[in-house]
Amino acid sequence: MIEPTLSHYLLVSGALFSIGLLGVIVRRNLLIIYMSLELMLNSANVALVAMSRFNGNLDGQVMVFFIITVAAAEVAVGLALIVALYRKRQTTEVEDLASMKL
Amino acid sequence: MSEQLKFVQLEMMVVALGLIVLIADLVMPPSKRRLIGHLSAVALGLIFLFSLRDSYVGLINESTDLFFNSRYKIDGLAIFFKRFFILAAIFVLIFAVDFADRIRSGISEYYAFIIFALAGMMFAASANDFSMLFVSIELITVTFYILVSYQRHRLQSLEAGVKYLILGAVSSAFMIYGIALVFGEAGSLKFEDINAKQSELLGSKVFLFGMLFLFAGLAFKISAFPFQVWAPDVYQGAPTPTTAFLSLGSKAAGFVLLIRLLVFTIPDLTREWTVLLIGISAVTILYGNLCALPQRNLKRLLAYSGIANAGYLLMGIVAQSEDGTAAILYYLAGYLFALMTVFLIINLITKEGEGEDISCLENLNKRSPFLAAAMTLAAISLAGIPPLAGFFGKFLLIKSVAVEAFGNTGYFVLLAVAVFGVVISIYYYFGIVRAIFWNHKADDKTPIFVVVPIRFALICCFAGMLYLGLLPNKPMKWVESAAVSLIKTTAE
Repeated sequence: MIEPTLSHYLLVSGALFSIGLLGVIVRRNLLIIYMSLELMLNSANVALVAMSRFNGNLDGQVMVFFIITVAAAEVAVGLALIVALYRKRQTTEVEDLASMKL
Repeated sequence: MSEQLKFVQLEMMVVALGLIVLIADLVMPPSKRRLIGHLSAVALGLIFLFSLRDSYVGLINESTDLFFNSRYKIDGLAIFFKRFFILAAIFVLIFAVDFADRIRSGISEYYAFIIFALAGMMFAASANDFSMLFVSIELITVTFYILVSYQRHRLQSLEAGVKYLILGAVSSAFMIYGIALVFGEAGSLKFEDINAKQSELLGSKVFLFGMLFLFAGLAFKISAFPFQVWAPDVYQGAPTPTTAFLSLGSKAAGFVLLIRLLVFTIPDLTREWTVLLIGISAVTILYGNLCALPQRNLKRLLAYSGIANAGYLLMGIVAQSEDGTAAILYYLAGYLFALMTVFLIINLITKEGEGEDISCLENLNKRSPFLAAAMTLAAISLAGIPPLAGFFGKFLLIKSVAVEAFGNTGYFVLLAVAVFGVVISIYYYFGIVRAIFWNHKADDKTPIFVVVPIRFALICCFAGMLYLGLLPNKPMKWVESAAVSLIKTTAE
């Protein structure tokens, strides 16, 4: 059995970040985009915890608590906004967000 | 411990004020709600006076090592920006009271969110650690998601809010991933530790990659080139007081963090990245100015001019000197007064539901000579024509780069682009002046009534623009002392 090293954790976190970013770019539904964004935030959490563990410095893990808290606030505001938009437009597709053009 | 809370006294007062506003909303009858906005503007004015006291300014010389473990810094730069943010928030609050009828829902919460965003900006001004940086930036951004989409009955406002939400969240994801990489390489979140290790960190690819991600997150805040796409739509769709606060407060918060990181914490990296920063600055100036040319919507035009201004301000960081930082501070102060005037007047002359088209300025000199004069002065100041504040700010920024220019061709390119940008910008700012004085197609000659608080705010902005432009000696000393204290800490 292989002992997991820092690079394994960083690979996972890099993969999560890339999947999240890809989702934000490719998907057209606001809710899915928002899920992908959460994935990006959590990939940073994985990296921080791993680095904190291998550096022997707890600052990174404390930072993760801040990130989780902030992400929760962001989700609360973001979902409320998306719901308000849905009530107005009956859609959550990004293509329909084009009322302001030159 | 508790006696050291004095370092955050201003922030505590601001947060308490926000909470009081929320509670007052429950107690006061709806007809008196207008008063809450004015009272909180007055309270912020008192907090501003408080920040001028010697006992507060004297905190610069005391160390926060014991209290916040040096995660929080009070220096000339921080105090300058705290005052800047409070001043901007006072104007925005006066503005918001006038705007209250168009908000329709929960006006007191609107005031409270402005105040909470202000608290975030004030913490950002003192951030000396990545966790502090992240939390204060997010406090600003999350409150701005709400402020931007506050007019829930307007589709444009909601749309702007969602666009800001998605792009803002992407930028904060980049920022924390960058922080994670920097933390992994440096082993610390504190700016001081990173400052101490910077020469060895520069060799690490992971660290450079992390800093690049972090820079992307901050560049989004200031709407610098590859991260500027959100600005026009969000500026146009947001309620006008929010737009004003976004273009002043949020941008200045990005700049105080950039100054602290790039100029103070890792000057070695900034020197290495000179070409990159010159490129971003030059392209931002060109993009903002060229895209502003065909705009007819005033708020959209100001969004593009705001992008161009972010490019000019970046020149001060490229210069990497005391002069450059002082020039950024001076420019921001002048920008505050000019931009606030323009937004206040846009709000006065447009009615709800109508577009903020440039043609609504027609006949303004007949309808209200006072407003026409104020708008003209603000446009002249933004264009950078002497003798107003904007000219002096641009002059200082260009000078700070020119002083460093010998021996580096990149700097000359940047100077050429900056001057070219100023010339382009004169064209569209004078489009505004032309609409006021020489376009008389519309027959609307109804005089515009300006309520006393707005008149007061306009006169303050007016005086500020003239003062910073005509008598620059004293304000120059202020910004230089703010920038000097910064450099002193670098040498430590």
